[in-house]
Amino acid sequence: MNWLRLIAIASLLLLLVPIFVLLYYGLGPFRDAAGFSTQVVRSIELTLFSSALAVAADFILFTPLAYYLARGNDRISESLVDLPVSVPHPIIGVALLILDSPVTPTGKFLLGLQINFYNTILGLVTALVIMSAPIYVKSMEPYFESKDPSPEEFAMGMGASRLRTLYSVVLPSSRDGLTSASLISMSRALSEFGSISIIAFYVLQFPFYGVSPASVTIYEFFSGNMSGGLNAAVTASAAMILVAIPITLAGHMFRKRARR
Amino acid sequence: MIEAKVSVQVGEFRLRAELQGGGTICLAGKNGTGKTTLLRAIAGFLPIAEGFVRIGGTDITKSPVEERDVVLVTPATCLPHLSVDSHVMWGARLKGLRPEKERVLRLKSELGIDYSGTVGNLSRGMRQRVALATALLSSPRAVLVDEAFLGLNDREAFISRYGKLAKQASVELIFSSQDEVDGTLADYLYVLHDGLAMPKRPETNP
Repeated sequence: MNWLRLIAIASLLLLLVPIFVLLYYGLGPFRDAAGFSTQVVRSIELTLFSSALAVAADFILFTPLAYYLARGNDRISESLVDLPVSVPHPIIGVALLILDSPVTPTGKFLLGLQINFYNTILGLVTALVIMSAPIYVKSMEPYFESKDPSPEEFAMGMGASRLRTLYSVVLPSSRDGLTSASLISMSRALSEFGSISIIAFYVLQFPFYGVSPASVTIYEFFSGNMSGGLNAAVTASAAMILVAIPITLAGHMFRKRARR
Repeated sequence: MIEAKVSVQVGEFRLRAELQGGGTICLAGKNGTGKTTLLRAIAGFLPIAEGFVRIGGTDITKSPVEERDVVLVTPATCLPHLSVDSHVMWGARLKGLRPEKERVLRLKSELGIDYSGTVGNLSRGMRQRVALATALLSSPRAVLVDEAFLGLNDREAFISRYGKLAKQASVELIFSSQDEVDGTLADYLYVLHDGLAMPKRPETNP
């Protein structure tokens, strides 16, 4: 008897049983048309759109940080990266509200530049970037660490700066790692609720006038603020899981490829 | 002319070395004697506890890696996403140099680079030739070859040709080898043993 395998399978089931139960009831006995309504479809579209933008921002803004941490020895920055995901997520929503509040100097400055986070796509994406970037950085950092530094040292010896080395030498040979980290952080962004329920309960901009992110819509069904109730919440949740699963699986598939 | 007097500490290992020579220098020694440590210290990838590194009279001891103009080539060195031609020109282009086409073709021919394609798809030996050509064409102060001559066909002839090409381009060359016999291919031979570099005079070369 392979006890380790048995324990591993039991642990995995512990994680997956709630998901399978939800899928079963959401697509079966509790299936409710409201859970597949246009409103739900639009909210899933908004979630996918904003998560994709957040991941694009993660790639542009946080790839250099992941590389810096991988090749440097900055323990303090390494710890600080985890901060946003180690606090209750609504705190990030509140922090963004304060940052962009008309009563704070930062808010006055940002609003003066027409930068408004509250109930905007920008606010939604900013919250998702803050919540997904640590996952992105923590995926890319070990990937960069595992790469043989010889090509980088070769390039630097010929006069390339660290940044030039990153863009000209490291990134072109890091497609699998980048794809994996992007998909895994996108999964994280898709699942976010705490921060966006405060900063962007719904967005008031084209093409998503009045649309809420999927996690907020599900909560609205559950709390009775939207018609459909618990059955619609379960059905919409199942639909969201079906959307998220391929992204998560693809992320892990690319991670395996990147490790080869 | 390379002049280096360095003391380097890596964990429990301490290296003390004094090198002086122009043209081609061979560092010979068994595994763990400090060849790679010495080359990495000269290239700027390891901090020098005491001493200095001067190339052509310029002190580069405290210069950052990208300003030393010293290229380190190892068996794993290559930019795999590039084509052979782009790779060979990469360092020169980075520095804004425009080597004559004839010189590039001659260099490729001398180093046996008669193939094309993406560098990552080539054999290790073919990649090493491309990396060594790239290093030389970027006209650095020095090329440090850390066992990247190993595994090449006609290795001895290749080292001689490479040393000659480096001299023509006024590039200092240091290469490491596990075999003292390779010292006969160099102008200077230093034998490393337990973190100490001892010069051997040419007439005592095996």
